[in-house]
Parts: sequence; C-alpha cells; structure tokens
Amino acid sequence: MNDPTWYDPVTVLDRSVATYSGREALRVAGRSLTYAELDREADAVAQWCSDTLPTGCRVAVLGVRDAISYAGILGVLRSGRAYVPLHPDHPEERWRQAMEQAEVQGIIAPSTEHHRLHGHTTLPLYVPMPHCSRVRRPGAEAYVMFTSGSTGGPKGVQVTRANVAAYLRHALQAWDIRPEDRCTQLFGLGFDLSVHDLFVCWGKGACLSVPDEGHALRLASYLKDERITVWFSVPSVIGLMQRMRALEPGSFPLLRLSFFCGEALPWAYASAWAVAAPNGSITNLYGPTEATIAILEHPVRTPFGTMGTVPLGKPFPGALVRVEPEEDVRTGELWLGGPQVALGYVQRQEATDAVFRTDPRGTRWYATGDRVREDEEGCFHFLGRMDDQVKVQGHRVEPSEVDRVVGTHLGAGRSVTVAVEGTGGVRLVTFIDVPGDTVALMRALKEQLPPYMLPEAILILGHFPLNSNGKVDKRALKELANHG
Amino acid sequence: MADPHLRDTVLSLIAQRAARLGMSTSELTDDLDLLRSGLLDSLGFVDLVVDLEKRTGKEVDLIAAMDRPGGTTLGGVVELFARQA
Repeated sequence: MNDPTWYDPVTVLDRSVATYSGREALRVAGRSLTYAELDREADAVAQWCSDTLPTGCRVAVLGVRDAISYAGILGVLRSGRAYVPLHPDHPEERWRQAMEQAEVQGIIAPSTEHHRLHGHTTLPLYVPMPHCSRVRRPGAEAYVMFTSGSTGGPKGVQVTRANVAAYLRHALQAWDIRPEDRCTQLFGLGFDLSVHDLFVCWGKGACLSVPDEGHALRLASYLKDERITVWFSVPSVIGLMQRMRALEPGSFPLLRLSFFCGEALPWAYASAWAVAAPNGSITNLYGPTEATIAILEHPVRTPFGTMGTVPLGKPFPGALVRVEPEEDVRTGELWLGGPQVALGYVQRQEATDAVFRTDPRGTRWYATGDRVREDEEGCFHFLGRMDDQVKVQGHRVEPSEVDRVVGTHLGAGRSVTVAVEGTGGVRLVTFIDVPGDTVALMRALKEQLPPYMLPEAILILGHFPLNSNGKVDKRALKELANHG
Repeated sequence: MADPHLRDTVLSLIAQRAARLGMSTSELTDDLDLLRSGLLDSLGFVDLVVDLEKRTGKEVDLIAAMDRPGGTTLGGVVELFARQA
C-alpha cells in the first residue's frame, strides 16, 4: 500500500477492529478483551480527551499493567493528541519533571493509582465517560518518550505518527505474524519498543499478552501458560532465564518468531534461545528511540557465531544510513536518516541540534553515537559507543546524569559515576570526593532516579585519580570499582 | 518455622546491599519482598538463590518457586531451601 496513512497506528488498529472484532486482542491483569471491547474502551478515552483537554495537547499515560493503559494510548492517539508514558517504577519526582517538560495537560491512570498523583499534579485525571462517540482527529505527534541525558536531565524524544507509520510499514509487511498468534508485551510502556509490541500485534489481528507484575522471574511459566508464539525482549532476559535453568532443549516448542532489541545480542544467548525454541526463527533488531523503535534488522541464521555479538544487520527499506566520519574504511559513527527520524527533543533545542543534523541536500540525520563497521554485504556491526552511554538491561543510561543528580546533594563536592561490566551485566558505581552520609544520599537518589540508574554503591575517595591530561581517570575508577 | 541458620546465611548475603540502601536490620523481616523493596533486581535475586545452592549443596526448582505467592520474600527464600530436605 502506497497511501502514507495506511500504516498510521490509528488506521492500523481501526482496520483490525473492523476485521477481527470478536477475536481476543488483549490479555492483561486477569482480563481478556476482544478487539471490539478494546475499541470501546479506547473510544471512551478519546471522548474524555476531546471533552476535557485542549486540542492537540500531550496526555500522560501511567504505564501500569491494566487495560486502561492500553486503551489510554489508543484513545489519546485517536483524539489527535500525543501520549507521554510514565513508568510506574520511577519516582513521582521524575514523573513531574517529564510532565512539566512535555507540557502535559491531562493524565490517564487507573483510579487505584490516583493517590500517587495527588500532591504532584493538579491536572485533570481520566474518568470513564458515560457516553462516547467515535472520535477521530488528525494528529501529527504520536508520543514523547524520555531517555537519559548527559546534561540537563532526561530528554523527551518527539516521535510523529508518520515516524511510527514508517516503522509499521516495514514491520507489518516483512514479519509473518498471524491472527492466531499470541504476542508478548514485556517492554515497559515508557520504552518505545512497547510501540512495536502493541501495533505489530494488533496490526495483524493477533492477541497481546501482558504478564503479571514481577514477571521477569516467571517468564518461563508465562510463556507456557499463555501459549506464546511471538516473543520480543531485551537479550539480557535470555541470560536471566539461562541462570534460572529455564532454557532446556525444546522448552518452548510453540515459539515461531523471536525478536530481540535494546542492547547487543551475544551469539551465546542466540544459541541458547535457539535450543530452547527449536521451531522458531530469531531476528535481531537495532535502533535508537530517535529513529523510532528499530531501523536495522538481522535474521539470525546458521551457522551461529561462537564469540561476540550478532550483527546489527541491514537497514529497513526506505531507511537512510551512513557511517560518519569514517575513521577507516566503513568504520565510524552511525547516522540514520529517512522517514523514521524523530523531530527532536522537547524544549531542548541545543541538545536537538547536537545530534539531529541536516545535510546540504536537506536530508535530516540522527547521529546515533554508536560506533559501527559496515561489512562487504552492507551489514552493520556494533563496535562501541562514542561517549560514556551504557545500557543497563536495555535502558540507556548516561552515567553523568547520575552525577548531575548526586551533585545537587554534595555542595562543593564532586561525583563521578562509572559503569563496570560484571557477571550479571552492567553496574553503576558512584565515587564522591567529600565525606558524607552515603546511606542518606542513596535514599535521596531513590526519590529522583529510576531503579536502573541507581548506583550499586557510593564510595568516598579523598581525591580522584587524574590521568596525564589532568582529567579524572575513569579507567582507574573502573579498576577501583571492580576490585576496591 | 524457618531454619534460623539458613536465615542468617540469607541475611549475610543481602546485608551489604541493605545497608547501602539505608535499610536497618529490623526492616529485614520474613515478609520483606526482596524485589519489590528494591533490595535486589531479578538477576540479583537469581544470583542469591544460585549462591545459596552452592552453600547448601541443594538444588531448588527456581521456576516452580517463582510461581508460588511470596516466593521472592525473605521468608519465601528460606522456605524454598528448607523444603528441599
């Protein structure tokens, strides 16, 4: 289909509602909703937005495991507004920041969670409407998702409905998901990979299954009990399941398609997954939030590698890719262009200009900060980061953002947070150069940072080691963090 | 009644992390959920159980244990190993 609105997320869902109205669309928190039921709940939200909120505004959706979160996202989009997901595990202070920065005008949350919002906001909270009609308003922006930022705190990436449509165009054409499939919904709604979960599944008339809270340790049972056939997660979940001895040969015979994204996929993990799910295929996806969900893909085929990580893969059709500036032949920073590149960061012009660039021909590019190598076949391989950014179980973390928050509690002291690779993945360790109550500091950080950004330890040093340039020697600090 | 010796072992393994988070030993009760309290993440929890397996020489069924209510509480972990005679 060449009509650009054919893959618009609202249109995609409307089509499935018309075709599959009686089929199961969503299983969450002990409830099961058909496409018709999900459609009705989404319409109620769209009606509330239209009746209560300014046109074209942004609406926060608290991303709890409840049907209202899903209907909320759909209803906000139908009403021509954009949603701003709030992660339920993040401190309320972080929600407040995000809502302020994105100028949110209303909030959708189940009534059981309203108490967490009182005192933090005076914005209208969603109440189901007694009447509702079919509201469809055109809207340009789809969502604003916050990621870690090195200076000035979290950055809200502005993604348009056209960006999402460009992603869905490829996803719905290329991947063989069928109405009888059962798809996972493991990504938090504050993570843009959840947009894939929702719309790739619903675009095909399949059923989305949301596991209960605390799911990470119950994934093996969830997979079997829910008869999951399509899987999507971060690769570190494989490591977790492996350590739980949940990946036996043939453990998951029903799995047909498995997708991984969010961090590097080690070959060892891919092999372990293939043994556990022998009847399925594995696809490795790569893409930053700024280029909408994912933009490179690599179908994992035999022979599997034995060392290192699975390639990032080749670009989706229509995506523009270049390696810039080339350090060597085909090695350098990966830049992405084309219809998936987002608008920029809300209210952060400087940060936007630093990474979203327009070339002399007028093409907009997003400089990813990822160092890559392109091989002879046009397949990209991840080499590392240009900056200090790390992934903690798939979440992007700028260690300096931790320091910015620590700094507000230190007075004249300084802090340097380093990321160290451990057996269970990446850990953060914060060093400070003033004596202080590290326990009280840790408590304060808990109020301000999401759980994955909390340092595992705060250590006091008399003074920071310096390198030959007179800068803090982070390598020495990493050594200390590992062995000290 | 949970095995007091086993309980002490679990406590010793989580004590440092608890202290860093500012939790006092009086807060480390049997019904404390090790994950929900933020004391451990899921990988940390699996590591704790694997560590206990090594120390006790017992092997537990982690998948089944996780499906039980209260499986991730301090008392739940102690019980998990106590059951495994």
